[in-house]
Amino acid sequence: MGEIVFKNICKSFGETKVIEDLNLTIRDGEFTVLVGASGCGKTTLLRMIAGIGPATSGELYIDGEEISDVPPGKRGIAMVFQNYAIYPTMTVKGNIEFGLKNRKIPKAERETLIAEVAETVGLTPYLKRKPSELSGGQRQRVALARAMVKKPKVFLLDEPLSNLDAKLRVSMRTELIELHHRLKTTFVYVTHDQTEAMSMADTIVLMDRGKIQQMASPMEIYNDPNNVFTAQFIGTPPMNIQKMKDGKHQLGYRAEKVQLSETKPDLLYARKAVVLTREMLGSETIYKLQLEEADDGSGKTAVMAKTPNLMFEVDSRVYIGVDRKDLYYFDEEGRRLRGDGISPSLEKMTAEGGES
Amino acid sequence: MYEYKKPNKKLLKVKKIVFAVISTFFKLLVCVIFAFPFLWMISTSFKTLYESLLYPPTLLPQNFTVDAYISLFEQVHLERYILNSLIILVSVTLLQVLIMVPAAYAFAKYNFKMKGVLFGAVMVAFMVPTQITFVSVFQMFSKMQLLDTLLPQIIPCICNAFGIFLLRQNFMQIPEELLESARLDEAGELKIMLKIMLPMSKSTLVTIMLLSMIGTWNSYFWPLVMTLHDSVRPITIAIQSLRNLEGGLEWPIIMAGNVILVLPVLILFFLASKKIIEAMAYRGVK
Ligand SMILES: Nc1ncnc2c1ncn2[C@@H]1O[C@H](COP(=O)(O)OP(=O)(O)OP(=O)(O)O)[C@@H](O)[C@H]1O
Ligand SMILES: [Mg+2]
Repeated sequence: MGEIVFKNICKSFGETKVIEDLNLTIRDGEFTVLVGASGCGKTTLLRMIAGIGPATSGELYIDGEEISDVPPGKRGIAMVFQNYAIYPTMTVKGNIEFGLKNRKIPKAERETLIAEVAETVGLTPYLKRKPSELSGGQRQRVALARAMVKKPKVFLLDEPLSNLDAKLRVSMRTELIELHHRLKTTFVYVTHDQTEAMSMADTIVLMDRGKIQQMASPMEIYNDPNNVFTAQFIGTPPMNIQKMKDGKHQLGYRAEKVQLSETKPDLLYARKAVVLTREMLGSETIYKLQLEEADDGSGKTAVMAKTPNLMFEVDSRVYIGVDRKDLYYFDEEGRRLRGDGISPSLEKMTAEGGES
Repeated sequence: MYEYKKPNKKLLKVKKIVFAVISTFFKLLVCVIFAFPFLWMISTSFKTLYESLLYPPTLLPQNFTVDAYISLFEQVHLERYILNSLIILVSVTLLQVLIMVPAAYAFAKYNFKMKGVLFGAVMVAFMVPTQITFVSVFQMFSKMQLLDTLLPQIIPCICNAFGIFLLRQNFMQIPEELLESARLDEAGELKIMLKIMLPMSKSTLVTIMLLSMIGTWNSYFWPLVMTLHDSVRPITIAIQSLRNLEGGLEWPIIMAGNVILVLPVLILFFLASKKIIEAMAYRGVK
């Protein structure tokens, strides 16, 4: 069990408000990923759950129990810190054992637990080493092992893979997901890498400047963003967002949905463009294109397109088109318009945009 | 055209050798200048009284003898003073550590009321020389009727302000996450201090202890004014009083006493020198 509920949580450091009136429920047993740009308050949230950086006001529940007064060690959580924070003067074994010793777990039991966890993370040959004699990846594993051995009901992981090389990172990702499947406990995982968030999460919590922008499954957050921020944060390249003719509403479409053709396509959204750059990735090609005139009349503007079609040369003239169902509309404040919010006049503006 | 001039390799080599010779010579010279008094002291301590008065003096003892050392213990009973010194040394060192470590931890990692003022008081204590405070301390002990015991030689020295300052600086460099991590591991504050902070500051602590131990072992002025009777006096005062033996200035005995006085300091220094250099050197590795 390990459901975490934030209720009207605020946090300030002195005068600066970092988090204002946050409400959030992290579901039990799920792999929740907190994602957001650097400095948006992800670590701050984790530290609140851990009890080492208490909220300024508001209530925090784990399993329905208000835990503001529960000391960090008694909350049933384990945390992997952004910079590992492994004890430099203890051996790997000492590091893993420290928490167990403090909990007065008998020696024989400790030995089995340590052997077990060391085997899982592949540290068995290094148990006698000091942290200074380990590679970055191995230190990361020590930090993980130290958290795992406590068998917590909530795992807090603060960018645990950020210091690893690309290959090791991918394999550690898989290992963490497997670990989650095996343990079925609550994981709260922090990252600023949206790919990592997309590939690992059951639920993504996307944050910006201390506010939650959207909380949803990776599929939903990609297909059905709530606002411009989410639409642009999730997905590579970010969603194309254009001001519309009225200068207020915004129109968005994903680079993956852009169709390129030599003749004008019969689609709701169709514009003339020039190819600026072409970047071939193998199965797909990313084009950067320039529209002669933005819809709101502000001049030249660039859009991205990602298609399997690689036949367009730089400087060639093409048509870009987007199907009606792949268009996203946002209001002035960047909020998504859905269903009835999309008036026929909006669609008319979309269709006319290029002509005038 | 740009031409690359080959450096004259031979000339470079000669220069290097000349430099090495000169620098080694000077280093040796400095060594001799510093070591000579020590060697002279040791040599004299093994001479007979007669030989020690010869002119011109002999460099090494002609008739090697340990008589001086024997009379130190048989006539002067140096062992009593050594015992006093050891009691003072051990108590002062232990009490200092006992006070210094928690104080430094609190100053480094806690926020509490009056922290600035209290730390200011520590810094003042560190800067005011003992000669200024000794009159009032003397009066205090005199009122408590504790003069002429070991206590006034121990109690005023148990707060090592310099040590608190140095150790605090060291503790402050330890990242907060380590302590938080330990708290998540259910470690109490005492455990954090002993198992995490102290091992990470071992070399600094050893240096502080060593400096304070040398200071305590060598202290002369304070015990002299606080005591009257030989039974509670430390070795330093005994060595000084060797000048007033009945037989006049017996150089071998005085020198033997001094050898015994500096020997523990030298041994300590050699044992701990690696740690001291570690503590003083810039630490680039985390
Ligand atoms: N101890 C502190 N004192 C003052 N401000 C702080 C403190 N800790 C964090 N902040 C501020 O709070 C904000 C959020 O910090 P936080 O560490 O939670 O960001 P983050 O999302 O974890 O970023 P990153 O991805 O870079 O780790 C930042 O603007 C930071 O400057
Ligand atoms: Mg962070």
